[in-house]
Amino acid sequence: MMPSEPGDPEQVAAFNARIAAGDQIEAGEWMPEEYRFEAVRLINMHANSEIMGALPEREWIPRAPTLARKMALTAKVQDEVGHGMLLYRVAETLGRSRDEMITELVEGRARFHNVFHYPAETWADVAIIQVFVDGAAMQTQGALRSCSYAPYSRVLKRICYEEDFHIQLGLDVWRALAEGTPRQRAMLQNALNRWWTPILHFFGMPDRVSPHTEKMLAWRLKVKSNEELRQQFLRRFVPIILEYGLEVPDPALRWVEEEQRYVYTEPDWEELKRVGRNGGPKSAERLALRQRFHQQHAWVREAVGRWAQGGPARAAVA
Amino acid sequence: MKDATAGAPPNGAGGRWARPLPAPADVWAVFLQARKRDPHVHVGDVHAPDSEMALVLAKENYARRDPCVSLWVVRAAEIYATTADAAGMFEPATDKSYRFGGSYRQQQRVYRGAWRLSHREEDQ
Amino acid sequence: MPGALAAVSDPALRAAFREWILRVADDELVIGHRHSEWTGFGPDLESDVAMSSIAQEEIGHARAFYEQIAADEGSDVDRLAFDRAPAEYRHAALLERPNGGWEFSILRLLLYEQFEAARLGLLAASGQEPVASLARTLVREERYHSLFARTWLERLARADAEGRARVQAALDSAWPDALGLFEATPADGVLRAAGILGEAPEAQRPAWEEAVRPVLQGCGLSIPAGPAREGGRRGLHGPEFEEMLAQMTEVWRSDPEARW
Repeated sequence: MMPSEPGDPEQVAAFNARIAAGDQIEAGEWMPEEYRFEAVRLINMHANSEIMGALPEREWIPRAPTLARKMALTAKVQDEVGHGMLLYRVAETLGRSRDEMITELVEGRARFHNVFHYPAETWADVAIIQVFVDGAAMQTQGALRSCSYAPYSRVLKRICYEEDFHIQLGLDVWRALAEGTPRQRAMLQNALNRWWTPILHFFGMPDRVSPHTEKMLAWRLKVKSNEELRQQFLRRFVPIILEYGLEVPDPALRWVEEEQRYVYTEPDWEELKRVGRNGGPKSAERLALRQRFHQQHAWVREAVGRWAQGGPARAAVA
Repeated sequence: MKDATAGAPPNGAGGRWARPLPAPADVWAVFLQARKRDPHVHVGDVHAPDSEMALVLAKENYARRDPCVSLWVVRAAEIYATTADAAGMFEPATDKSYRFGGSYRQQQRVYRGAWRLSHREEDQ
Repeated sequence: MPGALAAVSDPALRAAFREWILRVADDELVIGHRHSEWTGFGPDLESDVAMSSIAQEEIGHARAFYEQIAADEGSDVDRLAFDRAPAEYRHAALLERPNGGWEFSILRLLLYEQFEAARLGLLAASGQEPVASLARTLVREERYHSLFARTWLERLARADAEGRARVQAALDSAWPDALGLFEATPADGVLRAAGILGEAPEAQRPAWEEAVRPVLQGCGLSIPAGPAREGGRRGLHGPEFEEMLAQMTEVWRSDPEARW
């Protein structure tokens, strides 16, 4: 459902001029409906991804192999839930309610990032997710800190700060495995192999030149192209794989000096589309799990709502 | 920065200059004081059914890493705010440099010179 | 740095003190583990984050107490935490109970924290360093845990009749296990006689009941009657703990010599 009301052309022109001049929009200010629509879509999807992103890693909290790792992993997943909280709040300032967004998510009517539709099979997946998935997210979110919607840009600052902790923590887990026993190393390589395609997918298909992309870039709801972000990611993270003597899962991957870019085997983009429509290997199971708890807590939400209204019981016992 | 109110009357009377912040009733704005000498600063919001729960939740959501000695919460919808239309009011139209100590460097140099003459090396 | 046992030379006393510290650490580890199972699944995002912090802190407290033992035995905390048979764990049954609903976890937190604060008080007054100083430091974090539990409990139980009924059911089911926190063991007597413990755990029970009763009754709840369910302090645990332990040690057991 695209917004129908385009807005007063003069007002739209003034709005576009402000953004072009580098200004940012605050919550509650006038904005074209189409801008609101795109901003909400972006931020809502980001929020969904944070809370769905908590699920693969949280499976390893009860199994973390040392007490220090157990605390750190809990803190890491906690941050993701916290990011969800911050981001839903930003989406709310654009006119959606948090309950509504979460209901939509648990009912499978909303989208979340492709990487969170895949299984986390071993402890080594924790390292891969923390280094590479959070590393990939950091490229996108780091760029968006200069986006045009001020409340989003503010929370991204905090989110990126915490993502840096995640990557550092992940590198520590990664190093322990890479420098560990042959079994640990094999576990790490295996996880890397499984995650390679989803991570390349993460940035999306190379952008087509389209009026939509142009508009998103002009509005600074997109700051860098998908391919630019993917290259930025590869530049930073391929060396980490090589430094520890692990194998890049793509034999065709190489650095092309003249073009200052990596060439890689084109991943299967159909898979990304399928996964994006909640058709990934773990989509249904994770959504069902989220829905189960959502239903389990329904009475808690009701009780809290009644309490907020100052229900009769609250007065009676007080 | 480009003036967004271009075209509006020069005094900005065309737009509203103040409004309540739009927020759901169960949203509380959280203000955090990092050290005793610092002011409380708005760091974000929480959803909570009342002020007490808002404080309890604010602690771990906003003060689990950063230093904090005190928190405030206030219903976000109770906050009254100036609008973007009013931004122009904050931009000075005339030279206000006379309000800043830095504008008086000349005098400062004279003062320093005089001070040096009247003080010995070991006092400095 | 020497741990709690370094200053205790009498073997029987040392064994009793070890048993006691292990019990504290096991309580914290097991409840911390259970709380961490809420991470990602709390009733709202803010409470999810807060409960996660509580889980981390309980596990952190467990770690600090395991260190007290490990330091004097040339062992390490993870070996203590992960490398024992179920019957060697000394936590009370209340803490191993699966989370169930949010109301059960909140109620358990409330009952446990009141107990834990008093127990830390005992250790703080034990005159045994460094464990006394450690206990004094940890109390600071337990205060927030209690506050979180009380604030939630009140809202769950007092909002409406359904909430109250659910919390009452949780209380009825938790109460015998909560009384089991105070289970007496021979180690208590040894430590009492040596002046390390000012009082035995059972002697702390009336004060605990006095502290939790007004909170529960203020929420319109009635205190169940019935005997304590004991055994945890002697290593008797249910199948749910065996499951939990199997999961908790799954990766560690796959190679106990490995660095993780």
